[in-house]
Amino acid sequence: MANNHKQTKISDLRKKLLTAMIIVPAIPFFLVLAIGYYQFVKSLEAETFSRISRIANDHRRVVQMFLDERRSDLVFATDVFKLRDLSQKNTLAKAFSYLKSQSSAYVDLGVFNQKGIHVAYQGPYELEGKSYANAPWFKMVMLHGYYISDVFLGYRKVPHFVVAVKATNGGEVWVLRATIDTKFFTGFVEGVRIGKTGEAYILNDQGMLQTERRASGMIMSKDQEHIKELTPRGQSEAFVRKAEGGHEYVYATAWLNDHKWLLVVRQEVNDAFSSLWEATYVGVIILLIGGAGIVSIAFLLTNSLVMRIQMLDREKEELDQQLIMTSRLAEIGEMSAGFAHEINNPLQVISAEQTLIDTILTDMAQRGDLPQSKDTEEVLDSVAQIRQQVDRCGSITQSILKFARQKDPKPENVDIGEFMGQVADMLRKKAEVNGIDLTVKAQPGLPKVNADPGQLQQVLLNLLNNAFDAVTQRHGVAGGKVEMYADNHGDQVTIRVKDNGHGISQHNAGKIFRPFFSTKPVGKGTGLGLSVCYGIVDKMNGSMEVESTEGEGATFFVKLPATTPAPPCT
Amino acid sequence: MNNMALMLVDDEERFLQTTSKLLARKGLEALTATSGQEALDKLETEYVDVVILDVKMPGMDGLETLKQIKSRHPLVEVIMLTGHGTIDSAVEGMRTGAYDYLTKPCDLGELLSKSEAAYFRRQVMEEKIRQAQVRRAASSPRDFVRELENE
Repeated sequence: MANNHKQTKISDLRKKLLTAMIIVPAIPFFLVLAIGYYQFVKSLEAETFSRISRIANDHRRVVQMFLDERRSDLVFATDVFKLRDLSQKNTLAKAFSYLKSQSSAYVDLGVFNQKGIHVAYQGPYELEGKSYANAPWFKMVMLHGYYISDVFLGYRKVPHFVVAVKATNGGEVWVLRATIDTKFFTGFVEGVRIGKTGEAYILNDQGMLQTERRASGMIMSKDQEHIKELTPRGQSEAFVRKAEGGHEYVYATAWLNDHKWLLVVRQEVNDAFSSLWEATYVGVIILLIGGAGIVSIAFLLTNSLVMRIQMLDREKEELDQQLIMTSRLAEIGEMSAGFAHEINNPLQVISAEQTLIDTILTDMAQRGDLPQSKDTEEVLDSVAQIRQQVDRCGSITQSILKFARQKDPKPENVDIGEFMGQVADMLRKKAEVNGIDLTVKAQPGLPKVNADPGQLQQVLLNLLNNAFDAVTQRHGVAGGKVEMYADNHGDQVTIRVKDNGHGISQHNAGKIFRPFFSTKPVGKGTGLGLSVCYGIVDKMNGSMEVESTEGEGATFFVKLPATTPAPPCT
Repeated sequence: MNNMALMLVDDEERFLQTTSKLLARKGLEALTATSGQEALDKLETEYVDVVILDVKMPGMDGLETLKQIKSRHPLVEVIMLTGHGTIDSAVEGMRTGAYDYLTKPCDLGELLSKSEAAYFRRQVMEEKIRQAQVRRAASSPRDFVRELENE
């Protein structure tokens, strides 16, 4: 039940830790990534717009220059030739070939008098003699002196546009007009290449296509995307719009030809932002790797933390157990001391009474008042038995009081090697009598131990006496071996008392330091010896352990902290 | 030895009775007292060589009684009788001037041998005092006579 509860607590803790460890680094990570991505998109967008705007403006300049050059060509021709000259077929042909040498965009060349009659013509069509007095271009050129028309069909029924200039030299007013090949012009305008989907085309101020479009859109057809409506006259714009067919495009526009025409450059968004997709791809990879990193590190850390916590928990539990054991010992000590003390008073009375009875009986026997009978013998035996039992009670209460009397030790620096020798000498005679081989060894140069010599003596005597009992029980009066050996690991001195007696069963080894636990026959042991030793060693900040193989012997370990050497006097 | 004057002080009356009966059988008349106060009162009127004094008694305890005895009757020897739990107070008692201590339950033989040892010391002490007085009398008989007259 408690274990179950602890399990859920641990798994709860693990969940919380894991969540925190994932979320805490993930938030800044995603934030940085998102902000970076956002900034990148922003700057890429701005950069893309400015790039496409620049292209549109550059291209506008080129197209405008082309148109200006055509006008200059015609102006030059009208300056050089007079109406009379150009009415001559061969002179016109010469002038046309000159224009052709300037640009192959020219389709034909025509001369008109001021009434709009086509006076002379050099080109593939039969247009001589036709009147253009009512043609819009003719009116415009007469009005402004110069005109570039939109694309129209005219007499020839083929889309074209014209460049015309009014001349006034030679005392006459006349008009020179050249037709520009729309195929050539389209190719010229379209000649912009941006990415895979980039294209350029020209719209007039009615939104009619003035050049053919690579994607779709016949010349002179209406622009279905209403780009013109989005661009205020005279301004250049860049924007994103959804075109027919659902694709999004980046558009850039620029007015030219005296704001009559609008140059449009457009590119599919996916194409224009292709580097964005690359960046997104990289970003996603970083996201995945980073996320996986965070999660796996969180898992690793959480696992090691939880393991550590579990270990600490276990250690704490053990410590608690020890604490309970120690405090229980102290409690038992206190209780039994009071108990033993109270028992001692009636015991004293019983002892006195028994002595009295015994004395009286002895006196009676001396006087001959005591009849020699079986009853008398039994009374005497019984009285003797009372004495024995009183003594037994006395020894029990004495050992209980000894156990309880764990007064504060008066520690001294004790040389363990020398001390063990003294203690062993006290039992040397007993060992000899029982045929026990008692050896005492100490590693040379042992550090001294801070201990109350009286108490330490009690501990060692107790362990040796127990060992003697164990070996005599197994071997009788020959073959017993008891060894006392001391060495040190760093500042911990360990005394081992090893015997080859009957050993201690696994079951009993766990209980051996408990008060009142004894395996000795009734009346032979109070079960307090080892628990007293345990208490004493514990008070010295040491510890006691036992190792045993049943039937082979036992080793008791007394581990004591060495005295820290006094700092040298200066 | 049989003229040793012994007093037993213990709050356990039956123990006093039985022990004095036993001592009587050994030819020793022993005074008894059940409290420290009673013991002090009896000491004012009776001659006592050795007091067996229980440490733990209601009212005036053994240690307090010991101090009183020692201040009023320095030559009276005291043996503390203690349960083992109060052995520290027995030790303190010996510092205060008790001759020895006995632990409960003690048997009569032990009680007697320690009492006799105490009695012997008292006699030695008295002997020393007597010799000192004699020496003083020998060195200045006039003072000695004056002292005797004063007494």
